[in-house]
This record gives sequence, structure tokens and C-alpha cells, in this order.
Amino acid sequence: MKILIALLAVTPCVVGAVDVPIEGTVQSRCTIDTDTAGVYGNPNAYTLTTAAADGGVQPITRFDVTLADAYYAKVTHPDSFSTAPTANATVTFTGETEVSAVGDAAMSGYEAAKTTFGNSTQFDLTESGSVWLKTSSVATNGGDKAFPSGTYRSIVVAECIAK
Amino acid sequence: MYRQVIAALILLSSQAAAHEMTPTYPKWVPSHMDGVWKTTMEMFNKRSDVEWYEIGVFDENWNPVNFVTSYRLFSMPHLSRVKFDVYIATPDVAVAEYICSKSKLRLISEQKTMVASRVCSRFK
Repeated sequence: MKILIALLAVTPCVVGAVDVPIEGTVQSRCTIDTDTAGVYGNPNAYTLTTAAADGGVQPITRFDVTLADAYYAKVTHPDSFSTAPTANATVTFTGETEVSAVGDAAMSGYEAAKTTFGNSTQFDLTESGSVWLKTSSVATNGGDKAFPSGTYRSIVVAECIAK
Repeated sequence: MYRQVIAALILLSSQAAAHEMTPTYPKWVPSHMDGVWKTTMEMFNKRSDVEWYEIGVFDENWNPVNFVTSYRLFSMPHLSRVKFDVYIATPDVAVAEYICSKSKLRLISEQKTMVASRVCSRFK
């Protein structure tokens, strides 16, 4: 019996060799990444602005696309506060969105080719890779009246739309 | 007076976060019900500051198109991946142009996130 077990132990195992494929699918996609926070500075009583010179921070949104010429990036700057101490219909909002950085030199034309309609700015993402878009926002209270004390927030809408 | 206004009034969140939906170009396929078509979408929530997303279907002019899903507004925990089916009536198949997912922000949020992200796929 021991001899039989020993024979089985030393007998090489015969296995069938098969190919084991590794498959993966890469599909086109767009990812919107809220890269940098936006902060309103308060240079005077009646203005809130994201301008760095006035103590603000411009929000930056990153768009990552894996397929060239498949998406538009659209960013809409605010036209109202989402949070404010009191409702105030006399506030005027202005803003702008521009290219902050690009991940590929071929994207250098994005800024010149952008289109603006209303509060929205649209970029044609003709290259694959990442682009960073920064948005400015300025809120001015009517009649140069001071904003009431409190926290003010507004919403930037970042969209990735398939062509 | 203005000095009493909070010095740094928060407009947007401070954390990196992302929102993704695939496929880019979905297709309608017949469902198990006559006169109803469906498509399957997948979402990935890398936004730790967002828990809820809303689905919408639109025509080429961005007018809403009727559709059915299990939940039009659904919860997605951070780093979760969700597959969902969207159903539509046959007459609307030719009309539907975009399907979009949009992050829903809480008005009162400790995260103070104020970037709404929307990703739209297109039926070609």
C-alpha cells in the first residue's frame, strides 16, 4: 500500500493546457471632477466675488474624456444664490468660464473655440484627456446696498454632453 | 457692515469628487413588454459629497420625454456603481435624444458642495 501511495506521489500530473484570456473593455466616458472649491470674497459691502484679488477663489472643474470628439463640456455660472440670509431680487450676477489648464497641447485651442450663450459656456472636447475649467462669479447688490450678514452660496452647473 | 458678512463665503466645495455615467451612446432594445423599449445605463459615484442622483430623458431640444425607471431619483453611496434600466414607449424611441444623470445637492449640507454635475449620453 505504501508503495502504491509513493508511486502516485511521484507520478507527474498531466494537465490540459488551455489559454485563459484576459478581456477588458474600454468604453468612452466623461467624468466631471469638482477640482477646486470656489469661495466668495467680500471686497466691499455690496459685492461678492470669486476674484483672487478680492480674496475669493475661482472654482475649477476638471473634465476627463477617454474618447476624442465625443463630448461637449458646458459650465453655467450662477444667476442666483442657493443659500442667502434673505431673498433679494436686486442682486445682479455676472460670470465667466475659461480654460484653466489642459492636459495636452492639442487642447490649446479650446479657449478660443468656446461658445457662450446666456450664463453657459460650452467647450468642444475634441481631444481625449483632461481639461480644467475655471469659473468666475460676481454678485452685486442693487443700489450699492450692503449684503445682510450671513452665508451666501450659489451653484455652478458642470455638464458633459455627448455629441 | 460688510465686515460682518462672513469673510470667506463659500461658493463651492473643497474636495475632489467625480461623477460618471456610461455608455456614451446607448441603444434602445426591445424589453419583455410589447411596445416598450429599454436601455441599460451604469453610473459610478466618486463624489463623496453627493448621495443622490436624478435621471432624465430629453428630446433634441431638451424637452423632457416620458420614461420609467425603478427610481427616477436614487441614492448612490460614495464609490458605488449602479446599473439601471430605463424604459420608454415605442413612439418615444425616435424622439429621445439624451439621457442624463444629475447630482442632487442638499440645500443644507455640511459638505458645502455647490457644484452640480450632469452627464448626458446620447442616442444616435
